[in-house]
Amino acid sequence: MRIVVCAKQVLDPDAVNNYALVGKLEIGEDGRSLTQASIPRLMNAYDEQAIEAALRLRDEGKDLSLTVVTLGDDVDDMLKHAAALGADEIARVDVDPSTLDHNGIACILAAYIGSIGGADLVLCGRQASDDDQGLVPGMLAELLKAPLITIARAVDAGDGSVKVVRVTPDGDETVEADFPAIVTISNELGEARYPTMKAKMQARKREPSVVTVESLDLPSDELGRKAVLIRQYVPELLGNCEMIEGGSAAEQAAALVGKLRGENII
Amino acid sequence: MSTVYVCTWNAAGNAAGGGLSDVDTEALTLARKVAADMGAELRLAAVGGVCEQAIADAGRFGVAAIDAIESPQLDSGAEVSCELLLEAIEQWFGGAGARLLLLNQSFDARTIAPRLARRLRAGIIMNGVDLEASSDMIPDTEHEGDQDHIRVTTTAFGGDTRREYALTGAEVFIVCLSDNACEPAPAAEATQPAVNKVAVDLAAVSDRVRVVQRPAAVTGAKLEDAQVIVAGGRGLGESGNFRLVEELAEALGGVAGASRPIVDEGWTDSSHQVGLTGKITKPTLYIAAGISGASQHMVGCCAARNIVAINTDPDAAIFKHARFGIVGNCLELLPELTRAVKG
Ligand SMILES: Cc1cc2nc3c(=O)[nH]c(=O)nc-3n(C[C@H](O)[C@H](O)[C@H](O)COP(=O)(O)OP(=O)(O)OC[C@H]3O[C@@H](n4cnc5c(N)ncnc54)[C@H](O)[C@@H]3O)c2cc1C
Ligand SMILES: Nc1ncnc2c1ncn2[C@@H]1O[C@H](COP(=O)(O)O)[C@@H](O)[C@H]1O
Repeated sequence: MRIVVCAKQVLDPDAVNNYALVGKLEIGEDGRSLTQASIPRLMNAYDEQAIEAALRLRDEGKDLSLTVVTLGDDVDDMLKHAAALGADEIARVDVDPSTLDHNGIACILAAYIGSIGGADLVLCGRQASDDDQGLVPGMLAELLKAPLITIARAVDAGDGSVKVVRVTPDGDETVEADFPAIVTISNELGEARYPTMKAKMQARKREPSVVTVESLDLPSDELGRKAVLIRQYVPELLGNCEMIEGGSAAEQAAALVGKLRGENII
Repeated sequence: MSTVYVCTWNAAGNAAGGGLSDVDTEALTLARKVAADMGAELRLAAVGGVCEQAIADAGRFGVAAIDAIESPQLDSGAEVSCELLLEAIEQWFGGAGARLLLLNQSFDARTIAPRLARRLRAGIIMNGVDLEASSDMIPDTEHEGDQDHIRVTTTAFGGDTRREYALTGAEVFIVCLSDNACEPAPAAEATQPAVNKVAVDLAAVSDRVRVVQRPAAVTGAKLEDAQVIVAGGRGLGESGNFRLVEELAEALGGVAGASRPIVDEGWTDSSHQVGLTGKITKPTLYIAAGISGASQHMVGCCAARNIVAINTDPDAAIFKHARFGIVGNCLELLPELTRAVKG
């Protein structure tokens, strides 16, 4: 079976959290991009877990080929990481994703998947940790006319179909669909593995295939943006916390409960 | 005149028994504002039908008319799948001619909205917290000459940043709104919305996703509805200490919550996770014990009326959101709080 994982490069969300916390998150001159060179660029963690889902199938002895595809030009380190993890094919479509909206990104990914002869299973992250949109997988499903299964904690695939345990607000749900299918992976899948030292060394020599947008032969009206990022800013947080200080834990607890009762909060 | 629609599939009044939920009246509040900006009419699209109470609620929020989208498949009493909802909305839309469609970003809406956007060739954005009609220039893009557009504020990086997107260059736009995007505010003048029944034909819809096993029926109170939540994070130190959170929650008649890492570690199950990828809550009181206050956690609880933070680190981000704070060890404070509440 052929599995394609769509992987996006994002700014390390923990670093962004830390800069935001101390009020040092910088917005570039265009008023909308985060420009700090000191924030590492990583693979979106959910996408790494999508690769992990594929690798677990391989561990179980399933015969599969794994392609990892992304958009962008400065993405080779991320793709080499994917190769070190076990991707048979790594590819990038040579386009700056910031010139596209989610529809355009989905169109390009769908066209790429078509250009390699399709996939049995397309695995995506549930959302990208930078924009948190979670749009691309659903759009891909429509473009590839494939069923969409979201928020997976476990994926089993083979013999022409995929079986997924989904995390829903009401608890776990098990569903099934025939190939080709799109599945989005959630953190409940569990930790992604690290590549071995040896695999890392070997992956250094791997070069991604580079695909141009022109070669994908997309209708030009599909790439026009209908959602345009105009501005990005850090919301101001007016801290206003009354600290309960002094005394033992018991005294502090009593003081807090007294305040909460005094204001009819409890 | 163009129309702005709020689309819901929870207005038929069966499960919740009542009328429109908060998330729908929040959407109506923002929709009314943007409809006024655009000189558009505000309508409600109610997939699966609309009950009397929901009609009255819609009137309070200034809805001019309601499209009740009906079909036997939506009414079967069985769980209505995303596939059916999607098809129903697509068919209804063909005749409705909406300019802007607002949806509350429920779990199912996250699955439906991106697919709907493809089918309607709509511009779409998720995680909306505010929106307005704008005629400001759109800088540095292929749309530079365009003027009138819808400008949507969203959260990004889990809430570390806000973004403004221009929706432009399409006939129709979809915006999914985060829970608690605003306080629901009724219209200055109530309306008496007319109800138009719209029949859709879903007989041919076959769901390619087959349900093998549904979730076991949920028991116990839901975090989304809780008035009091006591939540624990990695500061609890180890799995067994989650009990301290549960005990205080119980003493307060509330519900226990958790940060993502301790759900990932299996200290409690994922139904307790609060945050961007967990539950979005709005309690009167949220006690956060051993939680650092990362943005992705805070989106799930920042609408709480009162946050109490207990953390050993005086510089923890959580204190910036809190009404009351104690710098201290939650393993000592949680049992003392339980005792003080009971005593
Ligand atoms: C895309 C994405 C989605 C995410 N979604 C979510 C989500 O839905 N929900 C969520 O919670 N997180 C989410 N996260 C993770 C989030 O970024 C944080 O990593 C997480 O919330 C941190 O959890 P924590 O506060 O329990 O742990 P930590 O950040 O490790 O904080 C532990 C805190 O406990 C304090 N502490 C230690 N010992 C004690 C003690 N004895 N007594 C009192 N305090 C003590 C420490 O000072 C520290 O502040 C997401 C991340 C990403 C990238
Ligand atoms: N530029 C991209 N390149 C490859 N995959 C992407 C890209 N953007 C989004 N995706 C995929 O779509 C998922 C959801 O992204 P988003 O819709 O941006 O939240 C990601 O987790 C990836 O699997």
